[in-house]
Amino acid sequence: MASRRPAGVDGPLFKQALLGSLNWLATNHEEVNRLNVFPVPDGDTGTNMLLTLQSAVEDIKESNAAEVSKIAKLASHGSLMGARGNSGVILSQIFRGFARAVEGKSSLAPRELAIAFEEAANAAYRAVNKPTEGTILTVAREAGRSAAAAAGEDDATVPSVIAAAAAGARAAVLKTPSQLQILRDAGVVDAGGFGLQIILEGMLKTVEEAESFHVDTTAARPKAAQIALDLPEGGWGYCTEFLIDGTNLDLDHIRSEIEALGNSVLVVGEPELVKVHVHTDDPTRVINLAGGFGKILKLNVGDMSTQHKRILDSESAAGRPPRPNGVGIVAVVAGRGLVEIFRGLGVDAIVEGGQTMNPSTQDMLTAVDGVPYDEVVLLPNNGNVILAASQIPSLTNKTVHVIETHSVPQGVAAVVAFRPERSGADNTATMKAEAARIQTIEVTHAVRDTRSNGLKVKKGDVIGLINDKLEFAGADYAEVVNKALGKLGPDAYELVTVYRGQGASDDEMANLESAIRSNFPGLEVEVQQGGQQHYPFILSVE
Amino acid sequence: MTSKRRFAVVTDSTADLPDEWRARYGIEVVPLKVIFGDETFRDRVDMSDDEFFRRLAAATKLPTTSAPSPGEFAQAYRRLAENHDGCISIHLGAQLSATAEAARIGAESVEGFRVEVVDSQTVTMPIAFLCRVAAECETLEAATAAVEARVPKTRVLALLDTLRYLEMGGRLNRAQAMIGTMLDLKPLLLVADREIKPVERVRTRSRAISRMVDYFRGELPVEHVAVVHAQAPDEALKVAAGLRAELPGQEIAIGKIGCVLGTHTGPKALGVVYIKK
Repeated sequence: MASRRPAGVDGPLFKQALLGSLNWLATNHEEVNRLNVFPVPDGDTGTNMLLTLQSAVEDIKESNAAEVSKIAKLASHGSLMGARGNSGVILSQIFRGFARAVEGKSSLAPRELAIAFEEAANAAYRAVNKPTEGTILTVAREAGRSAAAAAGEDDATVPSVIAAAAAGARAAVLKTPSQLQILRDAGVVDAGGFGLQIILEGMLKTVEEAESFHVDTTAARPKAAQIALDLPEGGWGYCTEFLIDGTNLDLDHIRSEIEALGNSVLVVGEPELVKVHVHTDDPTRVINLAGGFGKILKLNVGDMSTQHKRILDSESAAGRPPRPNGVGIVAVVAGRGLVEIFRGLGVDAIVEGGQTMNPSTQDMLTAVDGVPYDEVVLLPNNGNVILAASQIPSLTNKTVHVIETHSVPQGVAAVVAFRPERSGADNTATMKAEAARIQTIEVTHAVRDTRSNGLKVKKGDVIGLINDKLEFAGADYAEVVNKALGKLGPDAYELVTVYRGQGASDDEMANLESAIRSNFPGLEVEVQQGGQQHYPFILSVE
Repeated sequence: MTSKRRFAVVTDSTADLPDEWRARYGIEVVPLKVIFGDETFRDRVDMSDDEFFRRLAAATKLPTTSAPSPGEFAQAYRRLAENHDGCISIHLGAQLSATAEAARIGAESVEGFRVEVVDSQTVTMPIAFLCRVAAECETLEAATAAVEARVPKTRVLALLDTLRYLEMGGRLNRAQAMIGTMLDLKPLLLVADREIKPVERVRTRSRAISRMVDYFRGELPVEHVAVVHAQAPDEALKVAAGLRAELPGQEIAIGKIGCVLGTHTGPKALGVVYIKK
């Protein structure tokens, strides 16, 4: 048997290992999604990592490179382009570090593999401004350390090193709640770290299979081919999202049915309410199928093959005279009303995305490169998009200023402050300062029971976040907004702008508005149709 | 003073000339007109600004404004010709109104009376400042030279409570000004060099006021300053008091925006106006 063991990680084996990771993460990403710290409908970590990994292997599928360095380079490039969300960006940096460490190598001995794992973790640490322990970074580092320890053993093999990395990751993931208070409060382990653990486990499974069948046997091929079939071929079809409202819904059954119709399938929730996310070529069939399980709510179908094209708002940009400072503006926004507001304020290109669908680095890069200015201000408008946005300046020849706006209200404040006759640097300074003045209140429903920030929350409760921090829970919107405004201290502010989301009814809107006016007579109230999903109300307080 | 001066000083009602200056310098004011439906009122003659803003708030249809006719200018010049050698006639910016053009045509029909028509390129009290500068000169030539030298230095910094009126009157292109139509913005506008351009976009009034004062500080030194307002006397007093504390020795007048300008600014407009040194 010993002679059949993979002596080193070459191109084909690494390719297989990555496809194995993808397969395993595709199977388990919902579990990762459930680990969201905040009980809010958020940019799902599992989905973000899965989409990032899918992008990483996209080019690899076609490659027959014998050298591990070539496959690693493709993975590094692909993951960077497809990086979504914070965990996705960090994952892309892990691939980048790995690719650097194996540069010029055709095959990795166990010891070299361990070094590459460690270098991958180092690269990820370097990429983050303020590395936080108890996150995917810690897990990557511990995986690297375990791999290095295993590689020092006399009988070290490629599988033993990967097994040690996976075990190290698992142990580190379990420890994350002891390192981060927010995880402890929510009673979860770190989602990104867990995602990385799954990726390593997927590699291990593949390599162990290779060990029993031998890497070069045809027996291993059908597995890879089968995985390849799961990947989108050519077009991406339509990103279809909805909720199924019913009774005794069988998640596993629904998932298996929907999986037959598309990929990137996400089916989560409870027997009474299930959230479905799928990329399919035939949304009608998916909807008809789902309609048989229960009532369809909040249906949203987006054409992903035209996504890059619709990023650019060339129509409105064309109607404007060229800007004297030669600085363009790109913003990440979702929701029809919000898109119009940003366009009206002079934004040249909109990248659709935000809370639930974090745009990829590539989406933002395309938009930045598409505006007719050599200098661009980029507004991520969401905490989960900032890291991906911060990659853009190094990916384009244009000068890109990333204003780290964490919310839509911050983004509006920033773009309002933009002056077409001032330089990009001057605008950036003012826009940052203006964004920082804004207080954001976001109102939504808890997607599960949790404890966060010392607050006990039941699934379905109305919850209020101030500047991304869960502060209040209650029975209705007005109650939660009253508490949040009370906490901010209304005397310090003049104007509340309410961005009404898709989920808010006319009555709820009217109630909220009159509650603010009667409880805080000193505040001016302005209501705007935001049209955002998942957050019935977003409030800007200034 | 008027007895010594052999030429007259003429302006129009959009100069928002304080009554006290008008009396002290003997300045002739030709009114523009405000038209509510089929009723026409002479600015500051047939209707006070308080009454105007009351009607504006109640109006279902916005009023329109019109320049004095050349004939009305000719009438004024003929009357002045009886005891003056000539006059300087300083008017609302030609980029905004036909007033200066009407004055020019009116002047041509009055033979033997020299009229120097000056396009102030601006609105409200900077025109009043120019009138004072002219009135303090001894000859028409000196007055014309002194006024024309200052025209490019006039500035109006204005904060409007809403852009609705300015836009409906066709005096502002939102797209060009990068002022979206969705959000209620409080832009700080600057009238200078024949243009109205937003210098800041702000969302709350108090920040807009402090930005206006900040911007003004960056414009110092100045030779004439006033705070003008439309139905916002308390804020005007506060801004003026703040400026007086910063600029001891500088006269800072407070002016009320009249009906014609008010049609375009709407109520609660507030401005700092000055002539740069």
